[in-house]
Amino acid sequence: MTSHDVTLEWPDGRTRTVEVDENETILEAAECDGSVLPYGCRTGACGTCSGRLLEVEGTRPSNGERAGDGDADVCAVDDVVAYRRLPRALKDRHRATGYVLLCIASPRADCRIAVGSSVHSELVDNPWK
Amino acid sequence: MSDASTPDSVEPDHEHEHRHEGPGYATPQAAIEEGEREKLAYVMSLYVGTDVDAPDFVSVVDLDPDSDTYCEIVDRIELPNRGDELHHFGWNACSSSCHMEGLERRHLIVPGQRSSRIHVLDAQDRRNPELETVIEPEEVFEYDLSAPHTVHCIPDGEILISMLGDADGELPGGFLELNEDFEIEGRWEPPGEIEMNYDYWYQPRQNVMVSSEWAAPETYYPGFDLEDVEAGNYGQRLHFWDWEAGTVEQTIDLGEEGLIPLEVRFLHTPESTHGFVGAALSSNIFHFWRDESAADGDGAYRAEKVIDFESREHDDWDMPVPALPTDILISMDDRYLFGSNWLHGEVWMYDISDPSNPRRADSLSVGGTFGEVQEVQDRELAAGPQMIQLSLDGERLYWTTSLFSSWDDQFYPEEAERGSVMLKADVDPRKGTMKLDEDFLVDWGECPAGPARAHEIRWPDGDCTSDVWQ
Ligand code: FES
Repeated sequence: MTSHDVTLEWPDGRTRTVEVDENETILEAAECDGSVLPYGCRTGACGTCSGRLLEVEGTRPSNGERAGDGDADVCAVDDVVAYRRLPRALKDRHRATGYVLLCIASPRADCRIAVGSSVHSELVDNPWK
Repeated sequence: MSDASTPDSVEPDHEHEHRHEGPGYATPQAAIEEGEREKLAYVMSLYVGTDVDAPDFVSVVDLDPDSDTYCEIVDRIELPNRGDELHHFGWNACSSSCHMEGLERRHLIVPGQRSSRIHVLDAQDRRNPELETVIEPEEVFEYDLSAPHTVHCIPDGEILISMLGDADGELPGGFLELNEDFEIEGRWEPPGEIEMNYDYWYQPRQNVMVSSEWAAPETYYPGFDLEDVEAGNYGQRLHFWDWEAGTVEQTIDLGEEGLIPLEVRFLHTPESTHGFVGAALSSNIFHFWRDESAADGDGAYRAEKVIDFESREHDDWDMPVPALPTDILISMDDRYLFGSNWLHGEVWMYDISDPSNPRRADSLSVGGTFGEVQEVQDRELAAGPQMIQLSLDGERLYWTTSLFSSWDDQFYPEEAERGSVMLKADVDPRKGTMKLDEDFLVDWGECPAGPARAHEIRWPDGDCTSDVWQ
């Protein structure tokens, strides 16, 4: 079974590299490894488990900044993970900017992903402010 | 009176004939007269969506002013998994079963909104409820349902839960029925009756149930997005059901002024066909009633906007801030409608003696974006009033401050760091006034694993948002 190294990066600077099989989700592998990631539905509907792709092996690091539209690194997001089911909690604009639902995503390449509850809060702003 | 400790009590006859051998009270008036002052509260408490490595829990809060632990969380029933998002919950039996000998108001049905996991707690020991059964999400998904919301008991001992989505978190939602042994009985309604679902209330003597609409779980779970409003992904309709048949008889589209109709309440009097629903996004309250004289149909339901909260300008916001009335309740004597404007930071009470013409009685400006009171006992309030609960005698109104974790994060991000609070106002039902009780504060910011959010509140022996009469 092919596996990939997925490096999880928390906002406080902690990182952890987890080996994830192609047939398990990043959330499952992180749990087996004892790493705590937020989740809710585990079916791809709620977005609680959102991570943000920072770098794919072999491409230039984006220094943890949220990538903009048309960023070549991020366009690769659908090649970097395979989804078990439809990632319903993510809109096109989220997928285009590198967001990944870790509860249903399995890796297809070594990568670094920003994790933690703050990633979910990036998905939608206060529309009145 | 305690349902769990005196399940076989026989009430003296009041102004009606039926025998009272089961749980609850014979009439709403009996609940007011015989119900004791609330000494404990059960409160949904949650960590979902934060980095705190702990499951959600049910808090038991001491509300007895004579107790040494007044205003403290005296017990926390931790659930087995993380990620549930405890939200609304209910009893296995209420006053609607007061004729059912042997049935007790003893088990709390506690669903996880995000996980679709359903917990059953045995609350025979009111201070120390225990987890009894867990229905795992996979069992729920088998019925192509997810996102459990409102729990009411059916008068024969079964339990009905509104479910907001299908197994994938898309539409349609529906209703899940549990049997007396807390096993899934199946879907309650025939397929295809509704698309969106949210809260519901039933009035068995009138053979009617009313249900409201939020959105598909995939829409509201990630957070509130105006794009979804523009795309018509949020609800604006009320459904009136034949309670016996489980079929929708009439649907009323509330229009743009009725966007996101959330909590829906019938008056407690079982004869009444009047009720209210809060349209959160449009910041309006609608009155609905059965119009017996309807020319175009035999006793059709009508709905009319009766309260309109204006948006307010705020220097720090780009656009006028809507009030967002997210919860409403009706006092046990059916005299007052209470509600919370979560964004503005206001709790309010309207006299609904004439339900078509609610008259503003009083309000409190507390927390939220505009509240005059922004801290209690030096504790900053991170959000506005949200879930409310009223004492049976209508003299004490309590509220918590969390709406839904992902929505909290958008509008009150500080709540994740500070946690929720529970506050209280003393109500004078005779004068129609409210006063903030500054001595009362329960703080979820001090929970051992980290700050937690707090949501729905229930009393051990029945309350204004769960008891129904046959
Ligand atoms: S946990 Fe809900 S989308 Fe992943």
